Amino acid sequence: MLTSSTAETVLRAARRGGADFADLYVERWRRRNLRVIDGEVEDAVSAIEQGAGVRLFFGTDVVYAYTNELDDASLGELVATLVRLRGSGASDGQVDERGAGGLDLRRRGPQGLHAPRIAFDAFDKAWRLERLRELDAGARIDPAVSQVEGRLIEWEQDVLVVTSEGDWVEDRRVRTRCAANVIASEGDQTQTGYVGPGLSVGLELFDQNPPAEIGATAARQALTNLRAVPAPAGTMPVVIGNGVGGVIFHEALGHLVETTSVARRASVLTDKLGQQVASPAVTYVDDGTTPHGWGSSEFDDEGMATERTVLIDKGILTSYMVDRWGSLKTGYRRTGSGRRENYTYAPTSRMRNTFILPGDVHDTKDLFQGISYGLYAKAMGGGQVMPGSGEYNFAVSEGYVIRHGEIAEPVRGAMLVGKGPDTIQKVDAVATDLSTEPGMCGSRSGYIPTEVGQPHLRVSEIVVGGEA
Amino acid sequence: MTFEQAKTVLVQRATERGVEAEVLATSGRELTLSAADGRVDEITSATRGGVGVRVVHEGRIGYASSEALDEASLAWVLDEAIENAALQSARGAVLVEGHALGRSDLIGEGLSAPVERKAEAVTTLESALSADERVDAIAFARYSESESEAVLGSTRGADGGYRNGYAMLMASPIMRQGESVKQGYEIDFGKEFHAMDPTRTSQRILEKVGRHLGATPLPTGRYATVFEPEVVATILQLLLFSLSGKTLAEGKSRLAQRLGQPIASERFTLVDDPTLENGLASRPFDAEGTPASRTVVIERGVLRSFLHNSDTARRTGQANTGHASRSYASTLGVGATNLMLEAGEGVVLDDGVIVTNLMGVHAGANPISGDVSVQGLGLRVEGGESRPVENFALSFNLFRLLERIEAVGAEVQWRPAGGAIVGARSLQVDALSFAGA
Repeated sequence: MLTSSTAETVLRAARRGGADFADLYVERWRRRNLRVIDGEVEDAVSAIEQGAGVRLFFGTDVVYAYTNELDDASLGELVATLVRLRGSGASDGQVDERGAGGLDLRRRGPQGLHAPRIAFDAFDKAWRLERLRELDAGARIDPAVSQVEGRLIEWEQDVLVVTSEGDWVEDRRVRTRCAANVIASEGDQTQTGYVGPGLSVGLELFDQNPPAEIGATAARQALTNLRAVPAPAGTMPVVIGNGVGGVIFHEALGHLVETTSVARRASVLTDKLGQQVASPAVTYVDDGTTPHGWGSSEFDDEGMATERTVLIDKGILTSYMVDRWGSLKTGYRRTGSGRRENYTYAPTSRMRNTFILPGDVHDTKDLFQGISYGLYAKAMGGGQVMPGSGEYNFAVSEGYVIRHGEIAEPVRGAMLVGKGPDTIQKVDAVATDLSTEPGMCGSRSGYIPTEVGQPHLRVSEIVVGGEA
Repeated sequence: MTFEQAKTVLVQRATERGVEAEVLATSGRELTLSAADGRVDEITSATRGGVGVRVVHEGRIGYASSEALDEASLAWVLDEAIENAALQSARGAVLVEGHALGRSDLIGEGLSAPVERKAEAVTTLESALSADERVDAIAFARYSESESEAVLGSTRGADGGYRNGYAMLMASPIMRQGESVKQGYEIDFGKEFHAMDPTRTSQRILEKVGRHLGATPLPTGRYATVFEPEVVATILQLLLFSLSGKTLAEGKSRLAQRLGQPIASERFTLVDDPTLENGLASRPFDAEGTPASRTVVIERGVLRSFLHNSDTARRTGQANTGHASRSYASTLGVGATNLMLEAGEGVVLDDGVIVTNLMGVHAGANPISGDVSVQGLGLRVEGGESRPVENFALSFNLFRLLERIEAVGAEVQWRPAGGAIVGARSLQVDALSFAGA
């Protein structure tokens, strides 16, 4: 995508302009997006995105610029603008701190840990449309199913990161996701169901997730909600389902241990390393290396190899998620967590695949034992979180009453309300059925693919808001 | 390859493949400088652009786009667009006949100035705001300029290009007086950097936000009401939804079946003019290459036209007004340009409420029904004297409101609103219900 001489010229100009550190990020995407409603193509769009971003550090001040004109002159002008506005002109112009001013590039590339089995260009569009029509057919399990939307998203991203410290890192990321959104209607009631598996794979996604099953799962959720009764309100024990249930801790705990907020002291978990911040039943991990995980990559967007980071070990806070800027600000070791949506954003510390590890309750049914009245939040929908405090409210997209230790009638409109750091202290039992779900996480550096996950777990009490 | 060359290559290849295609290349340059503590602390310098293909084949439309302009990328894009079109059910889509549209430069040297001068403009703005002792903090103080270029070509003969742009100064101070804290936002913009005056902008911002300090609750009641131009811009943006040919074609416009009928007070005339000289949203042709012309949308209260592209015009059986909008990566839509409310004789309020801000319009307004229920901020006028008031909610229906307009302001204020640039003026209506203390 770029020659090493162009990269060297850009980074040298940055260092000569007084930058303590500079990096260059270049990427090229191919994307396909196919959306089918009731079997008819609604959108079919394909795109190539290509561009570069240059980031300059002056101490811990960061300036960033981007372009999709990748010639020497355009990139040179970009750096010149940043230097004129912010530069000191005081540096020696050395590019590699260890070298004598030239780039001693250490080249690294992906080993193919998450490489797809089926190539991006395999099969034609008609084949893809066929799969989405199977999804549609699979969802038609009841006359109340009134609309079925199927989406297929395919991404192929090539990334190059070059730094003034001499790193030359290439990565390739291929991701595929298929989602079903089903509407079920009866009388004046309308309810929806959603499911959207996605992995760092090619179209072999459908081997593990047959389209008809994706449709049927979403349809069952919509029908369950259609026939559900209004949720109860009050403080009660809650069993949160595995997989997508993990979104609560992603939003209300994960974001609080990114240096993006910790380094600004904007998180209640600032300066809490080594302290008990969760129930001893909880071990919370952010793992960028999960094979074919939706949020996996071999390198982060700052060119560091990803790793498995244990954030909370049996309740003790053991690490934050740290990017280069966060490391400079706090002194914590980088964790390969620098991520961004695309070249139009500078990277910040972000989650990858974040989940609670299996606990010691081998039979999930045991979690429900002893709950005389409570809520089973099987699947979670959207919510809101106050970033500083972790105060959250989340809609339960599939929920049931728990009565005398048994799962009873389905309820709709339930809302879980609390503070992430409190709720995680009240997790008193964790099952072993860990699963993860893909999602798109939005923050300072844009929308990025991440996985949330957990086994079934029990929270001794959460405030449940019912239907108004 | 340049955008111009990429366009030529793609049009040629499409012709060879026997498909009709339209190629739109758009690119933008942006520079944003934010200031804090007397110096520039955030810089965004960006250029982004690409080329988008819209293939129309056997009544079907397919899209694909690329930010890379090499031969291989362009070949992939054309293949994908053709295949994407083939997936659709036939919908009778056609590619309109094109014209030679020439090349226009609507910005010239307007933004040419050393970047240091621009940095000075924003630090001057920020310092002038900080110097006011009522200013507690500044949420942001920003200089921003953007320049855009479009090149269009098609297998049916469209061929043209243009360039436009503008610069903005904006800031949001948080001001305090005793227990009263108010945050506001103001923006100044123009096509000539040299005509911008950060000191004047700071005075306007301080005046605009400062007048709300010490606000007291507004008693519940019915008051004669004047909406300030900024609020009117928001209201016009809401109205634009129902005036869009796309909304009409999708069966969601409340104004369907009202063409030629009075829908507003006869004091109300609304015009969209892409040919306006020095207009910030002016353009010689739209995203389909339809030459620009002035469209009278509402004339003395009578609905004269919706805003259409060729597709929505065909689907509704109305005339294409040349309001196709699209960037290289998006699909065909409808968009207004310089949308202006024609001048009236001015508003006079002796007893009533001047509404200066509406909050939560996105959540509190239903664009389809026109029902609006939002929180407001304003000035209570009694016996010619005014005092700031707060904590009130007002509810109205947009379409009923239009019928009740009693006067239109004389002064125009241009504001960006939903992709268009709206020339708004004050509007006066008879008694509206306010829920307050």
